[in-house]
Amino acid sequence: MRFRIDQYQAWAPTLDTHEVWEAWAHQPTHLPDNNEQPACDFLPAMQRRRLSRLARMTMHVAWPLCGENEQLPFVFASRHGETPRTFALLSEVADEQPLSPTQFGLSVHNAIAGQWSILRGQHGESVAIAGEADTFEHAMVEVATLLEDGAAAALVVIAEERPPAAYDSWIDDVPFSYALAIKVGKIQEGDNTQTGQHWELRLEPAGEGSAASEWPHALDLVRALHGQSNTLIHTWKTRRWTWQRVR
Amino acid sequence: MNALQQEIAQLIIDTLNLEDVAVDDIPPDQPLFGEGLGLDSVDALELALALQKRYDIRIASDSKDARQHFTTVASLAAFVQAQQDACKS
Repeated sequence: MRFRIDQYQAWAPTLDTHEVWEAWAHQPTHLPDNNEQPACDFLPAMQRRRLSRLARMTMHVAWPLCGENEQLPFVFASRHGETPRTFALLSEVADEQPLSPTQFGLSVHNAIAGQWSILRGQHGESVAIAGEADTFEHAMVEVATLLEDGAAAALVVIAEERPPAAYDSWIDDVPFSYALAIKVGKIQEGDNTQTGQHWELRLEPAGEGSAASEWPHALDLVRALHGQSNTLIHTWKTRRWTWQRVR
Repeated sequence: MNALQQEIAQLIIDTLNLEDVAVDDIPPDQPLFGEGLGLDSVDALELALALQKRYDIRIASDSKDARQHFTTVASLAAFVQAQQDACKS
């Protein structure tokens, strides 16, 4: 499948401008995660009060990509979701304490997509997915189906939060919290005036002994978008995804 | 504002994660819900839970008086005081 990447915005602890991402893309390092979160001060305080850290990360990256009066189909992707919230609720259950109605009400995978739709008055399609280490690529498949279905553009956000220490033995693919939003458009063949970076994403069976990528796939794409490469190969289990810059 | 009213205003701020709001921004007689501070029904549930934990009191959710008790900081303080006095006697 082919698509246009019109705009993107990423966030990670201490990385929130194009310039610092540019530097990180050139020389990626492991960032300390001290629970920093975006301020989201474009929202009044009363509307921010139910936004978790992952929700704030999502709003921060998605907000500038959607115009004031624009309606964009929305794909929210996260492999692990809000592990801190889940862990806190489970701890309350273990302690036989009553659960917070707010926390319980928001403990579903599509809660952040719902908050986005309320805060931005979006009433189109909205999808929330969780997959394996290639959740990001599966999110792009969702986007491609929305474009194929007639949408001129769609917004995809992948967001992962560093899990509580209790999950350390199981979760090893979130080096630090990060979020990436991409506004994806349909390529009109023959129209050379279209802006943005054009990419192709292909899925093939993976061969034997393929190594997993060093950085989460979405962060790898951020590096590529900053001009560090024109081809990415992301292998997970039986699947090999190839990202190829077309233009 | 008496001490219990101050304490309850602070509990509201902490429990409901009201950034940029100070105790003095919630006058004891200001309506908490709808017009006024702007809380909603989920906040009411959250607040009821926090009050029960903090003051070891019981709030019957189907009580027709509950709505009355939750009107303002002053009415909540009066309710908490009455519950605590009832337990002592």
